[in-house]
Order: sequence, then C-alpha cells, then structure tokens
Amino acid sequence: MLTADPLTDAVLGRTPIDGLDVIDAHAHLGPYSRFFIPDPSAEAMVRVMDRCGVRRAVLSSCLAIELDATAGNAATAAAVEAHPDRLAGYLTLNPHQDPEAEVARWADHPGFLGVKLHPSLHEYPVTGPAYRPAWEYAAATGRPVLTHTWTGSSYDDPAMVAAVAERHPEVTILLGHAGAVPSGFDTVIELLYRHPNLYLEICGSYFTGRALERFVGELGAHRIVYGSDFPFIDLRYSIGRVLFANLPLAERATVLGGAFRALISRTDQSTPDRSTDHCGLTAVRGGSP
Amino acid sequence: MVRLYDCNAMVGRLPNLDAGEGTASGLRKAMDRVGIEAAVVGHTAAWRHDPATGNEALLAELAGEPRLRPAWVGLPDTCGELPPPAEFVATARRHGVVAVRLYPADHGYRLGGPDCAPLLDALAAARLPLLIDANQAPYPEIEAVAAARPDLPVVVCQTGYRALRTLTGVLARVPNVHIDLSYLGTHLGLEWLVERFGAKRLLFGTAAPVRDPADAVTRLLWSELSDAEVAAIGGGNWSRLVGGIRC
Repeated sequence: MLTADPLTDAVLGRTPIDGLDVIDAHAHLGPYSRFFIPDPSAEAMVRVMDRCGVRRAVLSSCLAIELDATAGNAATAAAVEAHPDRLAGYLTLNPHQDPEAEVARWADHPGFLGVKLHPSLHEYPVTGPAYRPAWEYAAATGRPVLTHTWTGSSYDDPAMVAAVAERHPEVTILLGHAGAVPSGFDTVIELLYRHPNLYLEICGSYFTGRALERFVGELGAHRIVYGSDFPFIDLRYSIGRVLFANLPLAERATVLGGAFRALISRTDQSTPDRSTDHCGLTAVRGGSP
Repeated sequence: MVRLYDCNAMVGRLPNLDAGEGTASGLRKAMDRVGIEAAVVGHTAAWRHDPATGNEALLAELAGEPRLRPAWVGLPDTCGELPPPAEFVATARRHGVVAVRLYPADHGYRLGGPDCAPLLDALAAARLPLLIDANQAPYPEIEAVAAARPDLPVVVCQTGYRALRTLTGVLARVPNVHIDLSYLGTHLGLEWLVERFGAKRLLFGTAAPVRDPADAVTRLLWSELSDAEVAAIGGGNWSRLVGGIRC
C-alpha cells in the first residue's frame, strides 16, 4: 500500500480495526448439517470478532433456519442474552412453522433487531401469503427483513423480493447475498433503482471488491450492507474484500456499519451506539440514508 | 510485515467475469494493493483455450517480471498437444516453470486414469508441484495419485467451506497433499487444520483474479496463528516445495 489506511493497515499489521463500529449484518450460530464447522459457538464468534475488530454481529441460528424456528429462535435469544453488547438477533420466521406464533412470542424481546427469512431452505416462495406475519411485523416496528436471495431461484430470486418490496414499500428489505451470482448483479442494481426500500447485503462465495466498487458507484454506499455469513463461512474471507476495495475510506466505513446502523436507527428500538471516534472516522458514522 | 508468496494466481482474460486487465502489470498492481510480494502465475489462455499456446503466452507475459514465476498447464500425452511428459517437464524447468496446473474436469480426462499417469510420474520425478482446483477431480482420485507418488507435491486449491469432512481424511493419509487458502472458507478451519497437521500442509494462494486476493490475505493475517505459522503458510512452505524441485 502506498498510503496509510487504517483498515488495510490493521490487516497487514495483524491488529484489529480500532475506532470504527463495524457491524456484521448477516451472521448465524451453531452447527449445520451439511458440513463440519470446528467451533460455531457464540463464544468463538465473539473471539473472532475481537481478533478483527468487528464490534457487533446480527445473527439467526442455524437451527432456526435449517430445522426448527421455535427452538432456533430460542438459541438465538440465548446467544444474544449472553453477549448483549456484541450480538443481536434476527427473528427467523418459517412459513411452515406458525410464523404468527413466533412473532407473538418474541416481539417484545429487545435482542431481536429484525427478521430473517430463508425461502430457499424452507422451500416456500418469498412472495407467498404465509410470510404475511413477517411483513406486518416489519411494517409495524420498522425492523428490517434480511432474506436469503439467489438469482434464478424459484423461491427467492431478487425480482421476487422486489415484488414484495413493491407491495410493502414501508418495509426495509435486505437482499441477502445480493442474489449471490455475479450474472445477476446488473438486475439487482436495476431493482434497487426502482425500489428505495431494498438494500444489498454482500456476503457470498462469488463476491469481490470489484463488485462492491460497482455497487457503491451505482447505488451509493448507504444502500450496501456488510455481512459475512459466519460461522457458516469464515468472517475473514468476506471482510477483506471490503477493507481492501478501491473505495474511499468513508464509503468502506459506511458499508462496514454506517449503512446498517442508519437502518436500525429508524426502528422502534435501535442498538446503542457504542462507537468511538478514532482514526478520523467520525465524519462517516451513521452513513446517509 | 509478513512476506506473502501467492502460489495460485493467473494472468489473462476471463470469459465470464470482469477480471481486470489480465496483464502482468495489472496483477502486480493487484498484489501491491493487498501486500503480496511474489506469485506463481498461470495463464487463463492455457486453461480456457489452448494449453500449448497459453503456456507460450505466459512466458511472454512474464518476461522481465521477477516477482512472477510461471506455472504451466499440462495435459495427458494422448493427442500429442504438448510434448511427451519427460520433454514437457524438462522444457518447463528450462523456462523456470515452478508448478504445473491440471484441469482434468474442464479438459476432459481423468486425473487418476492411465492416460495421465506418465505425466504425473514425470512431475513426481522432478518434484514439480501439481496445482489442482478441488472441482477438477474427486478427492479419492486426488488421494490415489498423490499416495502413489510420495515425491509429488500436490496442492489442492479452492477447497471451499464445505470440505473438511472429506479433506481431513485425505490430509491424514497422504502427507504430500497440501491445500491453499484461496477458498478455505470454513469458519476457524485454518486454525483447526494447523492444529492437526501443522502449518506445513497449508499454502498461501489467492486464485486471483477469479477470487479477490484480499480474501486469502485477510484470512491468513487475521488468523489466530502465531507469526511463525503465518510466515510459513504465507511463503515459507512454498519456498520449501520449490526448493525441492530437481533440475
């Protein structure tokens, strides 16, 4: 690197990021049936966050998305209660497992900041009527909905999510993985132009800093939200491409936390702002919705 | 500052991805951005078009580039597209080639079949490392060809985040199998593997430009490994493998 940069210098110096409220807006928790994860516990997650300087992560347990929303939401709540200053939760709603009851059970829990949908795993289209409790809850509370998306999926293609965004303009929806597949990124950008309540969350096996530069250039950093998918995938793969992206520091900082913080600040309960003003990053805090 | 030697990079264009300039100078710029000092480089033309002309284009592109060392793409000798294995390896060594990449799935042959065996034997005789992406051959085949040739350093690249249930057994049984970091995406998988097998089985590789090199850089440097382990994976292990090449 030719010039000092607090984000890339932290990586190259093997030290955590300091002075920036980095928020991982797409996290999970616990084991997953299809592959081995050495230690998917909340404690290990917080340890990795400490290693990198990620202050907060918003998670839905793998149990909730993969098998049992009721038990899984309880696991999410337990992790959040054990680490209230580091972890927050998404309330996972499964259209086959009484989503209305899940909303009623957890609506008043302070640890849940938003809703998580996984239409592909639940094999139910995001446009389907069984998701009504999710949209109603999100509309009533202002809490964002993070949904898995996959370009070409018959359950959660980004265009299907856009149809929901059209029906519920008051609901903030994050397209998890931004559709995942690079061939769909042009379409995703067009969808975000048309629907101001859509945002892109960028974790994924095929994502790059180059793609991020394009998203930010087309849409503005305030529409792009950093997430890692950890411990499904190691957090450090997906954060490096943001830290080293060829973007001004202010825009990287917005993607890394400012954009999501701005979304949460609109809800009926926002996360406490624990950020401090180091490294000259004060000006970019909060992003610009 | 850790010295990083990328064992898995490429120049050339890609048909399905905006991979940037595709030149040696473009690769150097990308390396500088993320702090990589040197790289083993293949050519996309040797992978996605024609190994013979792609390997030649690679040498031309890397001329006068001391930070970039060539990796050729090999083929079985069945159709005479490349020189016979012994001659191919000797020519490669004469041109300073430090590794050979194989694409059995994409190029339409079996890694573990009889057609490829003479080439693998020649690579093993020269101790010329073999780079192979995990999606190019089933793990049992990779294991079999490596186990049959203990002198052949095998580097499995882009293993993904779902591989440990299979990969761990291969690493346990076959000591000349290594893996690179280009997509060793399992949460805490790097630390877990180093704890079981030591740092010597892991190599720093990025799969640039298909993958963002920042991924592997950040994964390694922000790992929970010691500085000595990071230095070994970052470049020391590769230097050891290259140092074993027989002329």
